[in-house]
Amino acid sequence: MPVFKTPFNGYSVRFSPFYESRLAVATAQNFGILGNGRVHVIDLSPTSPTINELIAYDTADGVYDVAWSESHDSVLVAAIADGSVKVYDTALPPQSNPLRSFKEHAREVHGLDYNPTRRDSFLSASWDDSVKLWTLDRPASLRTFREHAYCVYSVAWNPKHADIFASASGDCTVRIWDVREPGSTMIIPGHEHEILSCDWNKYDDCLIASASVDKSIRIWDVRNYRVPLSVLNGHGYAIRKIKFSPHKRNLIVSCSYDMTVCLWDFMVEDALVGRHDHHTEFVVGVDLSVLVDGLMASTGWDELVYVWQQGMDPRAV
Amino acid sequence: MSMRELVTGGAACAVPGSSSSSSNPLGALANALIGSSSKTQERLREIPNAAAPTSDTQFYSQVDDSVAALPGSELDRPFLHSNAQGSDFIRGLRSFDDNGLADAWEEIQRQPHLDHLYDPAAAPIQPTLDGPPQRVLSSFLHSFVDSSRSGIPLHPTPLPLLGLSQGDKQCIRDRSSIMARHFFADKSEDFINAQVNALLSSLEIENDVRARGPVPGRFRELEDYWNESQGILKPGARSADGWVTEFSQYTAQHGDTNAWVRSFEQQHGASSWASEFEQEQAQLTSIDHLNGGDVANLAAIEQTRMLAHTLSQNDDPKFQVKPASGSWATEYQQQYNGGGTWADEFVHNEVFRGPDQWVNEFATERERHEQADDQWVNEFSKLHVDDWVEEFGHQVGEGILGDTSSDNWANAYDEFLNEQVAAKQRSDASSGVYVFSDMNPYVGHPNPLKEGQELFRKGLLSEAVLALEAEVMKNPENAEGWRLLGITHAENDDDQQAIAAMMRAQEADPTNLEVLLALGVSHTNELEQAAALKYLYGWLQHHPKYGTLAPPELGDSLYYADVARLFNEAAQMSPEDADVHIVLGVLYNLSREYDKAIASFKTALKLKPNDYSLWNKLGATQANSVQSADAILAYQQALDLKPNYVRAWANMGISYANQGLYEQSIRYYVRALAMNPKADNAWQYLRISLSCASRNDMLEPCDSRNLELLQKEFPL
Repeated sequence: MPVFKTPFNGYSVRFSPFYESRLAVATAQNFGILGNGRVHVIDLSPTSPTINELIAYDTADGVYDVAWSESHDSVLVAAIADGSVKVYDTALPPQSNPLRSFKEHAREVHGLDYNPTRRDSFLSASWDDSVKLWTLDRPASLRTFREHAYCVYSVAWNPKHADIFASASGDCTVRIWDVREPGSTMIIPGHEHEILSCDWNKYDDCLIASASVDKSIRIWDVRNYRVPLSVLNGHGYAIRKIKFSPHKRNLIVSCSYDMTVCLWDFMVEDALVGRHDHHTEFVVGVDLSVLVDGLMASTGWDELVYVWQQGMDPRAV
Repeated sequence: MSMRELVTGGAACAVPGSSSSSSNPLGALANALIGSSSKTQERLREIPNAAAPTSDTQFYSQVDDSVAALPGSELDRPFLHSNAQGSDFIRGLRSFDDNGLADAWEEIQRQPHLDHLYDPAAAPIQPTLDGPPQRVLSSFLHSFVDSSRSGIPLHPTPLPLLGLSQGDKQCIRDRSSIMARHFFADKSEDFINAQVNALLSSLEIENDVRARGPVPGRFRELEDYWNESQGILKPGARSADGWVTEFSQYTAQHGDTNAWVRSFEQQHGASSWASEFEQEQAQLTSIDHLNGGDVANLAAIEQTRMLAHTLSQNDDPKFQVKPASGSWATEYQQQYNGGGTWADEFVHNEVFRGPDQWVNEFATERERHEQADDQWVNEFSKLHVDDWVEEFGHQVGEGILGDTSSDNWANAYDEFLNEQVAAKQRSDASSGVYVFSDMNPYVGHPNPLKEGQELFRKGLLSEAVLALEAEVMKNPENAEGWRLLGITHAENDDDQQAIAAMMRAQEADPTNLEVLLALGVSHTNELEQAAALKYLYGWLQHHPKYGTLAPPELGDSLYYADVARLFNEAAQMSPEDADVHIVLGVLYNLSREYDKAIASFKTALKLKPNDYSLWNKLGATQANSVQSADAILAYQQALDLKPNYVRAWANMGISYANQGLYEQSIRYYVRALAMNPKADNAWQYLRISLSCASRNDMLEPCDSRNLELLQKEFPL
């Protein structure tokens, strides 16, 4: 399966929602602690197990996350550690990029999510404890959601309801928001440690998963969130990112500081159904293709991006 | 002078000659930084105006429609189907009072609909740092990250100067303290703080109050209790959310709860005791950094500071420890005069007097929970509050306040801090003083100079130092004795002593050319451009051949360009004089023109192929210009000529480490250390290489300086 080497430490990888072979990768120098960043747009070769770089964009600070536009096949947004959100259009010549630079967050922007149902707006989560709502055509953010008491690490739109999203924060809560409401509509005190990631189930709009520094993934039903529906244990260190499969209702993929990518079926007793230890450093980015069932990608601080088909060994050539 | 000024002032330089390994990397960084300024401007010009028509047309053709459908336009038009659906979704989950909808969207409505107002992305790309300093930094950050897996505490390691800006330092401080809480989740808060502090103090970053502290949720016990008791007080749907969580947020939506906090503050006076304490602690921490205070102490102070900071920052009333103002100072004064159990008494009485009152008040307001205060106090005591109070008391006990009996302890404390800073400055000023070894067996030797020269020739540098010290103690005016002592120290990798000895040599003989050249090189290593130029110019002035080139009036205000021009004239005058080319090489290192410097040293080497220190200069310059592979060849030449050249062995190790060949670099460091176990720089580099090579098993022998074991493990 193809591997791509990035000069900096990988931070995030995302499949394009338009082209099944295209991915975007966010990277940062020095583990994102200090230095430059780069966004890579890469293509899987249709004929050989290799990855070609389409284009790369340099930034003056680390890039922590990327998200593809859901409305324009060539547009992607990047979360920059200097607090800015930058928009790139791969169809434009390099000198026209970045197309936009939104500088409102006071601190590092750590997570992005593009609205998959409305397709016209996206969210940014920042270490300034806030979440902001943006569209590409407005010069400033539409709204700022300030309730979290510590860094917000990730945001995720509900796949069915265009105005509902969830945010995961270091204040040990997941909050659920309706952008038409003034404040958060639900607070899930999900873990006793910081929560680094959250995602909605793509088939059941009431299920949300949270992943924490406490090494566990918890699945919550928002109709009854006193107790988690399921607790998935098995990672040895903090869990950095989780994603529900767009193709299988019960499948979750997670990556962790324990240097592994794990696959889970949260409805069965032995939930851990797969573990990949192909990375030699912290794994911080993982994604599942919406267009190809079972195609997944991961990146980590070992400066490698792996793309593989579920059931295969990512390292197998 | 700050590191930043040194770098941007152009004083940063490389390390030829006696090349202190520790300053090697800075030259390249300075080069990168200074070289970047022009690039930056170019980049700035390249950045397009983001409102370029090409891009606009692509997006804005559909803009108006999509904007109309955005949330926020709902005040103008009926809800879209999808929105209504979303609303039902949430209502289905729980009945939520919708009264604030209008307010919520006002913000959006106020947004001007201006398509072309974008400020283009103007942030230029930083230079890509891939010179030696970048590698050192990268390696060190790697060992920090790595220590989360090994569980081995990171030790503060004096690193070479990396020329980090304030912004860089703040990034490192903030990000590492946030990330550390992810990597080190299993470890205690103390361990995490100690790790972050070790990282920060190694990079000479003060861990000040702007850094993000620990997560609010860490006072679990208290939080749980609080939630529980509130759960009883506040029945109904909202209790599930835990109003405490909401209360602790920074929003202004607290309503009446906020009001009672305010009234509490009015009654008790916002003495801001905690924040005062925290400030003092922050200052104390920085002082300790200056004095190279040990980690344990730093960690303890840090713990204290964090707690104080949390107490003062957290809006949650349960952390607002605010004893009645005035009484604290009085109490403190009494205890200070009496000594003894101040801390204990303070813990048991004073701290809780305020909380008792407000808890009572709170209880009265709520007409519930009379016994809450006791429980609360018990819970609170479990939070290791004693630790920090003890620590504070301990410091007071150690006489931090000196003999002052001023009523205002804060003033007295400030005085103390100022004294400490002044003392530090005094000690800096005296750093040029030569420090003699104790117990010198060569004292009383009939001819220590001859003995010293002999030992130096044999390469027994540490012994040679002792013999030469005996010589200059006997004959303090012997310039040759001091000069040789300085050179011995330089070759033995001790620049401070080398400079001190050379200064004494220059005092004894102000016109000695070799001394002037050595001082010029040493100051170049120490990044002191003005001093370096002074000595190099002095060399020219006192040279019998080139003295005429140097107009004496120039000596008052030396500019790099003038000095370089004079030496180029000298080189044209006598192209066969290797010394002129050597000085030119040093000068080009000052201006970071490494290619020219390398050419000069190569010219000099054609004339003086057996000068091992010249090969070392060439190697160091090549290393600075990121040609580590070439540098290794040059160092090898130096070592072939002088196998006991400790500095070249250590430099060799650095070059291997810079190429990522950590295992190989370890062998060279160990060899250098076997020859001079006092080479502290080499020990620090060894430690970094060991952790980069994942040889954590050998860190202990490294820390205990067990050379026997290290040599066995890493033979060369």
